[in-house]
Formats: sequence, C-alpha cells, structure tokens
Amino acid sequence: MMTQKTEKTTISFSDEVTSRHGGETLTACYQCGTCASSCPVARLDSSFNPREIIKLSLLGAKEEVLSRDAIWQCCSCFNCQERCPQNVEIADLIYALRNIALEAGHSPNIYSDFASALIAEGRIVQISKFVEKKREEYGLPPLKPVGVDDLNKILSATGFTKPEKTEESK
Amino acid sequence: MEQPKIGVFLSDCGKQLSEILDFDALTSFVKTVPNVTLIARGSEFWRGKGLQTIIDSIKDKKVNRVVVAESLTKISDINIAQAVENAGLNPYLVEVIDLKDHCVWPHQKTPKEATEKAKAMLLAAIERAKLLEPIEKIEFPAKKSALIIGGGIAGMQTAVDLADLGFEVNLIEKQPFLGGLSARVGRFFPTDDCAICIQPPSSDVKTITHTSRKCVYRSGFSEIPNLNILTNAKVVAVEGVPGNYKVTIEKKPRYVDADKCVACDKCVSVCPVETPDEYNANLSKRKAIYINVPTVHPQVYVIDEDACKFHDCAKCVEVCPTNAIDLDQKTEQVTLNVGSIVVATGFREFDTSAIKEYHYDDYPDVITNLELARMIDGFGPTGGAIVRPSDGKPAKKIVFIQCAGSRDRRYNPYCSGICCMISLKNASLIKEANPDAEVSICYIDIRTTGREHEYYYERAREMGIKFVKGRPTEIYADEEKDKLIVDVEDALLKRFLDLEADLVVLASAMVPAEGTEELAEILGLDLEADGFFKEYNAKLRPTETKQKGIFLCGGATFPKDAPTASLHAHSAAMKATKFLTSGKIVKDQRTAVINQDYCGDCEFCPVICPYGAISLEPTTEDHFVAQVNELLCEGCGVCVGTCPLNAIELRHSRPNQMEAQIKALMSMNGTSKPLVLAICCQECGHTAVDSSGMAKMQYPANVRVMKVPCAGIVRVNQILEAFKAGAQGVMVVGCKSDGCHYEVGSENAEKKMDSAKVLLKEYGIEPERLEMFKMVYIEGAQFAEAAKMMTERVTKLGPLKLMVTEGGET
Amino acid sequence: MKSYVLFLGCTIPARQPNYELSARKTLEKLGVELVDLDNFTCCCPPPIQSINLESSQAVAAYNICLAEEAGLDIVALCNGCFESLAMANAALKKDKKLKAHINEILAEVGKEFKGTIEVKHFLQVLMEEIGLEKIKEKVVKPLSKLKVAPFYGCHSLRPSKLLQLDDPERPTIFENLIEALGAESVEYRDKLKCCGGLLKGISDDTALSLARDKLVKTTKAGADCISTLCPFCFVALDIGQLQVKAKFKEVYDMPIIHYSELIALALGVAPEELALRSHKIKADKVLEKLA
Repeated sequence: MMTQKTEKTTISFSDEVTSRHGGETLTACYQCGTCASSCPVARLDSSFNPREIIKLSLLGAKEEVLSRDAIWQCCSCFNCQERCPQNVEIADLIYALRNIALEAGHSPNIYSDFASALIAEGRIVQISKFVEKKREEYGLPPLKPVGVDDLNKILSATGFTKPEKTEESK
Repeated sequence: MEQPKIGVFLSDCGKQLSEILDFDALTSFVKTVPNVTLIARGSEFWRGKGLQTIIDSIKDKKVNRVVVAESLTKISDINIAQAVENAGLNPYLVEVIDLKDHCVWPHQKTPKEATEKAKAMLLAAIERAKLLEPIEKIEFPAKKSALIIGGGIAGMQTAVDLADLGFEVNLIEKQPFLGGLSARVGRFFPTDDCAICIQPPSSDVKTITHTSRKCVYRSGFSEIPNLNILTNAKVVAVEGVPGNYKVTIEKKPRYVDADKCVACDKCVSVCPVETPDEYNANLSKRKAIYINVPTVHPQVYVIDEDACKFHDCAKCVEVCPTNAIDLDQKTEQVTLNVGSIVVATGFREFDTSAIKEYHYDDYPDVITNLELARMIDGFGPTGGAIVRPSDGKPAKKIVFIQCAGSRDRRYNPYCSGICCMISLKNASLIKEANPDAEVSICYIDIRTTGREHEYYYERAREMGIKFVKGRPTEIYADEEKDKLIVDVEDALLKRFLDLEADLVVLASAMVPAEGTEELAEILGLDLEADGFFKEYNAKLRPTETKQKGIFLCGGATFPKDAPTASLHAHSAAMKATKFLTSGKIVKDQRTAVINQDYCGDCEFCPVICPYGAISLEPTTEDHFVAQVNELLCEGCGVCVGTCPLNAIELRHSRPNQMEAQIKALMSMNGTSKPLVLAICCQECGHTAVDSSGMAKMQYPANVRVMKVPCAGIVRVNQILEAFKAGAQGVMVVGCKSDGCHYEVGSENAEKKMDSAKVLLKEYGIEPERLEMFKMVYIEGAQFAEAAKMMTERVTKLGPLKLMVTEGGET
Repeated sequence: MKSYVLFLGCTIPARQPNYELSARKTLEKLGVELVDLDNFTCCCPPPIQSINLESSQAVAAYNICLAEEAGLDIVALCNGCFESLAMANAALKKDKKLKAHINEILAEVGKEFKGTIEVKHFLQVLMEEIGLEKIKEKVVKPLSKLKVAPFYGCHSLRPSKLLQLDDPERPTIFENLIEALGAESVEYRDKLKCCGGLLKGISDDTALSLARDKLVKTTKAGADCISTLCPFCFVALDIGQLQVKAKFKEVYDMPIIHYSELIALALGVAPEELALRSHKIKADKVLEKLA
C-alpha cells in the first residue's frame, strides 16, 4: 500500500536493455551456456558467443557490446531461445542490442540498403524490370501494389531510424 | 440468567496513563453507566495484586462480568481469563481493552480528546460485556491411533516413533514391499553407508546398542506389536474429522498367503514369464512372481498381475511346498479408524524423456542417477559393474549432466536440492571402484550446502573427476566412434567440448510421487505450485497442514536427503500425537450457530467456509439446512458475513454484541473531526493498531477501533448501522489476502466492501466513506497513515447526509 | 475447401518466382483458392527486426490486419514471412498490453489488430487443409526412387512456442509430406541446423561453412536432393554451392528444390511449366527419378 521503495537514480545498461522490445528477459540468465553450445555460429567464429554477450550486457559493458562486430554475427536461427532453460529470449535480445547499437551509429552497411529499399518501395529487395518480365513469361499474375505510405507512417510512429552507411563498419 | 453486574478495572500502568487521561473523569463517567457494580483503579490488573482484586470481586459475588482496561491485551487477556476461570466465573464473560496503545500513546498531544475517546471505549466494553454469554469447552473423542501413508525412510521412522509412544500405528505402502526410494539408491551421502541398512531406525525398546544402522530384518521393525503394516495397499477415501478419521483402503491381491510363504524361491525358479524389473530400473529382468531383495519387508513373494499368466500356467502353485499361492485372491477393502494421518509419500525422478535433446527415451546408454545407483549397487542388476545398457560392455567414459529438468522454466523451475550430492556420490563410487574410468560432471552450479557436503566435493576433485561448467545443449550418437557425444560449452574456458561418453547420466529433477494429486484430493490438502504438498507454515509449522489431524513428512513436501527426512519424520510424529495422547480434542465453543428456521438452503456458507465445517443436512420435510461441525469450525465468522438471510451468528461475536459496541464507540466525539469507525480483525488488523500505539505513532482520536475475529464477519448492514450511529467514515482493516489467518476472510471482506460501496451510493452516501485496508500486523505506521487519510477524506466530504426513507426515518 | 490469402513477401517475387509458381500450381491442383490482396508490405523479417523490433512487429500486425479485413487466413511460403507474421500474430493474441500498444500505432493508419485469423505455413495448409491421404490420392507421378533430404530451415519451426508448426526437436510434418509423394525422406546429421543464409553479406565465411556443412551431411546420408521451404535457404544452398566450390574446391552436385516444386511434379505438373531452369544447380537428377 504505502511501502516506500527507493528509486534508482541511474539507468544501468541492463535496465536499458530490459526496457526495450525483445530485451525484457535479459536478467533471467544464469550463464549455463546452453545457448553457446546450441549456436551454429559460435563454433565457427570465436568472436561470437551468446552467453558472453549476455554476460557483458549484465555487467554493463555497454560500449564493448555495442561497438564490436559480435552482435551482428547472429544468424537468428533461434536454437538458443528454443533450448534456454530460463526462457531467455536470446535471439530477440540480440535484436534489441542491435536496435540500440544502430541508434548509436554502429551497424554493417548492408542494413542501410535494406532500410532504404523498405522506405522507398515497401520491400527490402527491389523488384527489377527483368524479374517482372519473367513473371509474365511464367504466367504469374502481376504483383499487387504495396502499402508504402502506411508502412512509412508506421515506421515513423515507431521511431524507425534509417542506419547511415559508415566507412568503418563492414 | 442473573442481571449483569459489571466490574470495571482501570489500570494506569504506573501512573503513565493518568498523565494524559483524566482518570477521575473516566471513573465518574463509568459510575453513571447502568449495571456497573464495581470500579477499581490501580497500576496493573493482569497480574499480582491487581489480578487478585479481580479474583476477590468475583469470589465475593460483587461482579459477574469483568471489563479491564489493560495494556498488551493479546497477552494480558489470556492471564486474566485464566484467573477469572479459576475464580469460578466463565472466562468468556471478560472484555479487555487497551487504553494505553489505543488511546494514550496515539493521542498524547490531545489529552482532552483522548479522555473522551477513552469514555467511548469503556462504554463500548461495558455494553458488550452486558451481552456476553458463558462459552463452554467441548470435548471430542480422538482415537489413539495413527495412519502413516508411505513406507519409505520417513514414513517408517514416524511409524516407529508413534509405536514407541504406545499408539496403534498403521503403516500403509502402495508397493508390495517397504523401503521406497531409499531402498534403491545403494548408498546415502555424505557418509556412503548402506541405504538399506539405514531404512528404519530400530525401536529403542528392541535393541541394546542404540544405533539406527539396522536394516528392516535386524531391527525387528516388522514385529513391533502395535505396528500394523499393510503393503500393496493404498488409500482410496477418507471421511470424518481430526481425532476420528475413517479411512478406506484398497489392498491389491498379492496372490501369495503371507502366513504360509516361507520365501524358498522355488516359485521363481519355475515361473516361465520374464518381465523388466522396475526395482532395478528395468536394467534387468525378473519373473512374474518375485521378491525385491532378501532383507526386504514383508518377506512374502508377490505376483505381478500384469505379467502373470494365472491359471493358464499355475506352475508356481504346483511347486510351492506350503501351498501358499492363491491365484484367486481378490482386491480387499479395509476400513481403518484413526485419530491422525501422516503423509509420507515421498518423491520420484522426473521423466527426462521430456527433454528430447537428451534422448533419454531413445538412447539406452543415457540413464538417470537412480538407474546408475542400481548398477553401482553390488546387489543390483549388474553386480556392481558399470556397463553400457546397449551392449553390456564396460563403460569407461561417464558423463553426468546436472539439472536435467531442474532449474528449468520449461519443466521444473526449482532446484531439486540433492542431485549435486547424488551425482558426486555416484561419481566418487565409480572412480573408487574403477580408478581408470574417466568421469566428468557438467554443471550449472555445484550445490553442496549441508554438513560435510563440501568435503564430498573436495574429495571428488581429488579423485580426478572432471568438472565442466556448462549445461550441454544436446547428446548425439556417433556411430563411427561407437560413443555418445555430449555437446557442451565449458563457460570458464569459453571452449566447445564434444565429450565422448559410454554412459551419460542425467541428474534428473525430483518431482512429487505418483498419485500425489489424487491423494491431496482425498485428504483435502493443498499442493504448492511445484506440485508438492503445502505445509501449514513453511518456517514454523513445516509438518502440519490446514487439516488439523493430517501431517506431512519426508520428501512429500520437497526433495530432501536422509538426515533431513529423519528430522522431518520425528517432527511429524511429535505433532501427530497432539491429541492422541489425551485421547480427546478440547475446544471452546466460540463457533458458528445456525438458526435453522431462517436457513434458506442457499449453499453459500458451506462453499465459503475455509474449513469445510458447514454441511447441508436434510431435515424431515425434504428440505436441507446448514449445520456446523463444531470440531472443524475455527470461529472466523466468514459464514456470518456471507449468509444473505442473517441465519448464522458467531458466539462471542454476535450481531447484537457488535452493534452495541458500534453504537457506544460512536456515541460521543469530543474532537472537532468527524467520527471514523475502524473494524479490525484480531489477527493483523487489530494487532496493527496495537503496533502503531506501541510505537507511539500519532493519529487523531476521532478514529475508534473495534475488534472482530476476521474481517469476513462484517455484514453490510453493520456498515449502515455505523453510519446511522454517527460514523462519518468506516474503515475495515484485515490481513493481506494471501496471509489471511482464516484463508479466505480478507479477500471475502474486500469483495463485500466493493459491493457495499455500490449499495451506499443507492443510499446517497458517498462510497469513499467506506474503505478496506489490508496490512501486516507489524505495519503500525500503515494503520496510523490510514487513520489520518480517512479522517482527511471524510472531513473534505463534509457531514453525512443520510437519505430519508419512506417511513420518515433516516 | 477454405480460401487463403497468399503472402509472398519480398524475396520470392524478387528472386524466386519459381517458388511462387510451383506453389500456385500445387494449390490449384489441390483445390485451394488463393487470394492476392493489395497493400501487403515487407513482413519485416530479421534484417529489419535488427534495425527496429517494434516497427517490425507493428508492420507485421498491419499485414495481418489486411487479411483480417478480408476474413481469411494467411498462407506464407517463405519461412521468414511465416515467422515474422505468425510470431506477431501469436504474441499479440497472448499479450493484451502488447496488443493495445501496437493498436495505438496502427490507429495512425486506420487499422486495428483483432486476432481473428491464423497465419499458416505452406506445409500446414497442405497437412491440415488437404491432408496426407488426399495428397497421396492425387499423386500421379510418384517420386519413388527419389531420396530427399528435408531441410526445414530455422523459421518454420522456431521459436516453437509461438509458431506451433511441429515438435521443434523431432518434427515429422515435412518428412510425412515427402513420403506422401512416394519419395524416401532421408535422415541426416544436424538436419535442423541453420544454413547461414542470413549471414550472407555480413559474415560470408561463416555462412559458407554452414552451407557446406549441410551439403556434406546430406551427401553422406545418400540424399539425391535437398528440399527447402525458404528462399533464403534455397539461395544459401543453391548459389551457395557454387561459392562453396570456389572456396573449398568441393563439388556436391546436390540439387536444391523447394517442396512446392516437388509436390507440383508429383501432382503431374510438367517440369517445363515450373521454371526449374532458374536453379543454379540443375534439377536434372530429380527429374530423372520421376516415375
């Protein structure tokens, strides 16, 4: 009823992550490593280890997590999320970290291309005239119009920021 | 009944109270109240000379009702009641109020207002005392016998304890043999002694050397005269009340006559049927007729009716030298009449086939700790050899996986507590017998918290057992290497390991025994979210339940090791003797009373009673009325608050008594603020008021407190009475919903107050004038804040405008 | 038989009209009507979710609203579209707060998510709407000598709690559908492991190693071809095979073929009508085994 709770005055990185779409379950992790051994990428690329990324996030190593290439190496296969005994939404968590990283200006350039195409034409891959002609040859019906305007309104309403291309990121 | 002669005893606690309250004014006021025949002032009245004054006044027949203004009422009233009873007056003709904590301390700064409130409080106590009635004690017979459900290590110990104390004990076990889980685990940690030897402690009377290390055979457990052991039997129904339970038991047929079987084993040698041996975790086979181990109890063979061919074969019947086998035995029903029941049904391993990535269901070389324990046991299916179940070859590389199904939100979110020790034990035993074996344990955390447990972990490391901090994602079979591969990341090394294994051992979670849900239904017990039986209070009463005569022990409440199970068993035995020793249960009759003429058979009260104390009984006119079982009734009054026809009253908290208090408390103000009535439950609510006073929290004197057994007793018409009597605001103060001493009272009251608010609106009364508060008894500050808040709120609303009814009354 | 709204996404129209073609022909033969709606947009799969997860969920919900307005369930061909839409559908149906939040955003474009339709994968429509028995009946050219390695991809099955297509550890729907065509479904090591498709352009080495892993293991198991459900998986294994050849100097000659193309063939659609020439690794081996 009227219990006094002392308010936190600083937002830690882990708080920042848990307040994001997809990042809500970060703090449930108890570092068992099931995600790491489930991960097809981690075995091939020692710079990517989901357990490590979560640990660094929990410890508050914001700069390290956001600026390194690691978080972009996830292939979104969801094997980790499927097997996690604490129901940590690891793949979604990686999205949340990427969202934060992107806002801070870190991301591979290819994402900029995806975003441009999405904003311009409502699709992440452009349909070339060549392909349209092929469709006609195959007897496929012409493509219906895309709701680009509505899409852009939604992107605006959700604070979608188009990532800029940089020299440094891959 | 003679006219009430009320004695009023005012203590001023070493003159502390008279510094604030005008005791002369109080005395003068009390003198004017009719039926007051004696007024006494003193320092204290709950002990010493003061108490003697009360005793003398009763003996001298000057008073037949006692009102005492004393402090620490929750303690002092017990003393006073005792003394009153000894003096020859019924102890329930006493009303004790707390002028110190309810009046002086909280209103220190306003002595005049405090004195006015004190007058109102005294008046309320006196008016209530006038209406009090004597309440007698009633006795219920209790059978001096107990039933223990479950013949494992805990159940057996409780059985022996109770039998030692001279009670008639019935021990029932659903398997054909006693011993439970501990009979199969081989060794007990941390001492690695033989589990079977420890099974039941020997009775003090029977052995000379008082040690517990005797197996069933050596302890003579089975021969204790007042211990009746029923195996192959389970409980199917329980009726009755604490002290007098009628239990229906179903005994499955053994097909072997216990009085004739000489355990010669001839039947086994001729039996043509082989079937997997579940005792040995299906690692070996047994015959359809069998016995587990030679030292088991009872030493009577049993036929597995699903495997046996019965009269199509009957070879065993032919060969038995004593004609002990009877293939026509039928299921029997046995009824037992017992006073207490102890539940000792234990736990079992979680079915790890649910964890598909571990392939327990389709790789024979993936086994559980229990199965491994059977292998390690020299008397087990492999004679102590650690082998691969798939091909019988020796297992040289063994990998343990901890937390298989524990600490896992997909299966069992809790930690099962004992599996780290079990794995360390099994791993060490393997290494001891096979120093060349490669043993690894994959863990998330190693938990070795008990006495001598840490040493176990040290020893395991010294023996060269490898520890991998990581939970494997999957086990797969490598046909080329003819090994299982455990895919795990060693988090400390940040390295991926593909551990080769001949045998993978899953440290499975421990879950409640099979049949726990059904048994809970039968006994009327609650289960926690984890599926185990719910203790009455985990900290202070861990072997009791909400059923007065039913107790819990052992793994039935949560997985535990042998030492803890023993502690638990002895505790349960002690608790179970509560009323068995005297052979009776004594209660006071502060119970609910139903006016059968008013009862409308609406069924609200049997449903709402948290103790199942109300039942509907047929009367002669093919009509049902509610009836209260006084043994089960706890005197909360929730039924009173629920009955739509005012057909129930609670003795000692009758409506007329409550209304008299309300009127008196609201009869005088003396402050500039509007009167607020606070109806507080005796558990948390009223005690929170005590706490606020003891801490000298300040709140205004227009707030007047009334005690009730449970907030659930409050009826809507009493709220209206309060407003009619002069209250401008009403507070109902109860326990927090999940901490209600009477289970449902607080929540029930809250719902009622919500409907009451709607009704108030109809009467033109602002619904904000009524408020329900829930607090814990130590939250004195909460009460003070609530009292201040209500006062402010009601002051802002202005004076109450009661609607005029058609009859012209307000 | 129910009608379904066809959700094509971006990659199929842009890169793999062969998938769309075979799917349309299959469903036509099986009597399922497909409706094409205006205004569908990108489903916002992982690459967009990586930029803004909330936007992606809102756009997915927007697309679902279009189907809700048409009163029809969605059938998705691409695993990515299936996952994006089915996850959003399930999450919003389960979580009232989330639904309210997303609806606030959708209100800006005059839409409201109600939770009235289902999002189905192409396999689910075949299994649930038509059923194995009917499919077996309609097969005119059983693929009886064909050994097919089923490749579910990731997003048809995971995250299983939300997608609910089949058991994520031991699925059988794809295997059953392959066998219904008369072919043999081949078990192989790590069949549920990712193909690395989403890492192309970001971490090509890893992507290629993962693709190679699939090729090695399906070859070892004796498969004649790998059947896919997702255009990304297809590209990773089809064009990817050429890249594997360039990097690792290994030739697998393993045709990659969408299940829709297999079933279309088994139902009697002529190979010429299926745009099979668009595959980089020619499907000749598969065609030879047609009865």
